[in-house]
Amino acid sequence: MAAVSAAAAKDRVPRRTSRAGKAGKVPFRIRLRRDRALILMTLPVIVLLLLFNYVPLLGNVVAFQEYDPYVAGNGTTAIFHSPWVGVEQFSRMLDDPLFWSATKNTIVLFVLQLVFFFPVPIALALVINSVIRPRVRAVAQAIMYLPHFFSWVLVVTVFQQILGGAGIIAQTLEKHGWSGFDLMTDADLFKFLVIGQAVWKDAGWGIIVFLAALSAVSTDLYEAAAMDGAGRWRRMWHVTLPALRPVIALLLVLRVGDALSVGFEQFLLQRYAVGAGASEVLDTYVWNMGIQNGDFSYAAAVGLVKGVIGVCLVLGANKVAHLLGEQGVYQK
Amino acid sequence: MTPNAVSISSGPSRRSFLASTAVATAAVAGGMPLLAACGGSDSESREGATSGKAADKLLPTYVASTVAQPDLPSKNGSAAGYTGKDDLAALATSVPDKLGTGAPFRIMSPFWGTPPKPGNAYYTALDAAAGTKITWQNQDGTTYGEKLGAVLASSSIPDMVVVPSWELGGKIPNAVTAKFMDLGPYLAGDKVKKYPNLAAIPSDAWRMSIFGGALRGLPMPAAPAGFIVPYYRKDIFDEKGWSVPKSPEEFLSWAKDVTSAKAKVYACADMSWSSAGVFGVRPAGTLGWNIGDDGKLTYRIEEPAFLEALEWVRKLFDAGVVHPDDKARSGDPSQRFTSGQILVFNSDMSAWYGKTAEQAQSKPDFEIDAMDYFGADGGDPTLWASQPATIWSLIRKGASNETIENALAAANFAAAPYGTKERMLVDYGVEGTHYTVKDGVPVKNDRGNSEVINAWPMLAAPAAYFAHPDLPDIARRQVEWQQRMGVFMKKTSTYGMNIVEPSRYANLRSQFEQLELDYVRGHKKLSDVQEAISTWKSSGGDKLRDWYKELLDKNGSGN
Repeated sequence: MAAVSAAAAKDRVPRRTSRAGKAGKVPFRIRLRRDRALILMTLPVIVLLLLFNYVPLLGNVVAFQEYDPYVAGNGTTAIFHSPWVGVEQFSRMLDDPLFWSATKNTIVLFVLQLVFFFPVPIALALVINSVIRPRVRAVAQAIMYLPHFFSWVLVVTVFQQILGGAGIIAQTLEKHGWSGFDLMTDADLFKFLVIGQAVWKDAGWGIIVFLAALSAVSTDLYEAAAMDGAGRWRRMWHVTLPALRPVIALLLVLRVGDALSVGFEQFLLQRYAVGAGASEVLDTYVWNMGIQNGDFSYAAAVGLVKGVIGVCLVLGANKVAHLLGEQGVYQK
Repeated sequence: MTPNAVSISSGPSRRSFLASTAVATAAVAGGMPLLAACGGSDSESREGATSGKAADKLLPTYVASTVAQPDLPSKNGSAAGYTGKDDLAALATSVPDKLGTGAPFRIMSPFWGTPPKPGNAYYTALDAAAGTKITWQNQDGTTYGEKLGAVLASSSIPDMVVVPSWELGGKIPNAVTAKFMDLGPYLAGDKVKKYPNLAAIPSDAWRMSIFGGALRGLPMPAAPAGFIVPYYRKDIFDEKGWSVPKSPEEFLSWAKDVTSAKAKVYACADMSWSSAGVFGVRPAGTLGWNIGDDGKLTYRIEEPAFLEALEWVRKLFDAGVVHPDDKARSGDPSQRFTSGQILVFNSDMSAWYGKTAEQAQSKPDFEIDAMDYFGADGGDPTLWASQPATIWSLIRKGASNETIENALAAANFAAAPYGTKERMLVDYGVEGTHYTVKDGVPVKNDRGNSEVINAWPMLAAPAAYFAHPDLPDIARRQVEWQQRMGVFMKKTSTYGMNIVEPSRYANLRSQFEQLELDYVRGHKKLSDVQEAISTWKSSGGDKLRDWYKELLDKNGSGN
């Protein structure tokens, strides 16, 4: 009897610890042996990540230099031959009105994207989910996914041909005596235009993850709710949306962490149409400074600041998610 | 600003035309055409320029070519023209002995279009004829600058690299000095006589090939009168009975008359480059500096003409006579031009032949012509000479002697003058395989169009010329227009010098390209431009002026 309970107790200990998430009590060697198949499976990805995501991070040191990639044999050894300038690049950044203009545009666009873009895939997923006939559903989904596979060049061109000054709408209006319609070169409306383009292109693609979450909701719940007299809206409010909540929170955290990346190609392509004042965002600014002007150190400094802020944002948003009782990106 | 006389003459194909306009587009993509952009480095030796007597010591001896004299010789800075029919059976030979040893080497070069497969009949035939064994690393010409920047920062630079002047931004001029070898020991003085076609390249072009005090580049010469061309649809003008405008005001009122948004016909594209010609604005970059009649050294943006030129273009935009897609910088203006959506557009010289050849089949009546430049008041314009070389091929430092010899042999072959077997092979490929001869005129076939583009003609070229065996009249009109406009040509004090500015000033003017585009489109105010000009002065422009002053005092003026 005692032996049984002792065995049960022995059995219970690791289980409890693993539930608490403190695997540290199990010796490393044992865990290694236990998880070796999983570790082997993830190894290629880890190597890939280290090689292409973490090792290049070291290159950020050029932000504290006046880096000249051509000063030595190759771009890497040039780091050791470029002069150190401390935080000069960062103070340059703070004094640069163009940087602040790009930052302002980025933040405005992020907020607009959050308000106008983020809810769209959720709404679309709910709509799609309510369609019962599989054929209609498949066709609707296919149509919504398709624009995701168009390149931005194509999307911008299509928009130009429709909303541009010589586009279909302008031509039609012109025939009826209205002239001067041109949405594509209007700097004030540009931020809404890019949201519109993003919705057209990517909202359909964004519904996939929500649909997956919705498919996991047991139909029993809906039936039970209906039995209790809940109408369509109440079912959505009390069953569907709570089921989506973890996914929404997760994506929101990720999106906030990515707040300073609002897009790149889309802005680069429409830069001349509306002017740099309206279209410059941090990513295009870094590209222009670094790749176009060859001012690598300065661009690296701006990119580094952007990255650090991004990390803070992701941790902060995750914290908020935890406070609200959601899982967030990782569990505590 | 003809980027490449060779590509212009490279046969009546749509593909090759596309390639040549692409060169043009790339050349002018940076805003003002032919900005011989310059960066600099921290090492003082890489900055500055070498000209005058110091330069002459580095140059190869000039030995004029004796084959096929042009029937329209160069005048007023124009290119030469060949308008007569070539006797294809009796072409001269300019490379009697194979100079290459057949040792393999690699060349990186910009390529506009779809590169042909390695080892294709064109590359094989040329290798066989020149005695070389080249592995071509063709890179997309439109993004060549990015590729070039990365390759130069790597430790495996190809043996030979083609560098267009419009990619010499930021720190790249430094890299050219640091990574490519001095060809002086192989070419200076009489040594060049081993390579007769290189010896026949004009000295002005060689002088432009001095980077960091040494002769490093093998040049593709350009005509100083290679101005941007304001093209108009002569067929439509004739049909409607319009006369070509002769002043900025006349142009504007004509443009307002003919623009009909309803019919989707607009007068013109973005005319900024032409406007610079009309108002006499110098190009951006080193050519932007000039000592005026009053003895003052100024940069282009300090001249009143700079703002006047921008204001006129803005008027065109405001009047709605510019195609909306040009306002949005979407699509290809040259296609709107051929389809009749715009009636005037500006491009480089290559579009004249390229567009005409392209449209010859589908629109037999299609005819374009170049407007003569008028001045700001309708009088004579001031047109600033473009640099006499705009593309170079360079050989990497540390290349073996054999590689250098083979690279020079290839360049010598590529620089064969018009009317030689070598030129024919470079421009048209192999008869029967790449082209056929109809009525004495070579015509490329599909294979020719896909294989005989770019590559070899990029390595080096003879003095600028126009020759279109199938449309000889175009060559004549091109030369005549350049000669007519060349009368109004002036050279800046920095003309003919390959100047590398110190790196601390490298980004000083970078904002203007965007600002000019934004201002004419109404996205910026005049005060923004004026403010940028004073910021430019205070944040280094005045110091850069001192630097240029010293440089010009030391080297002498280029005009």
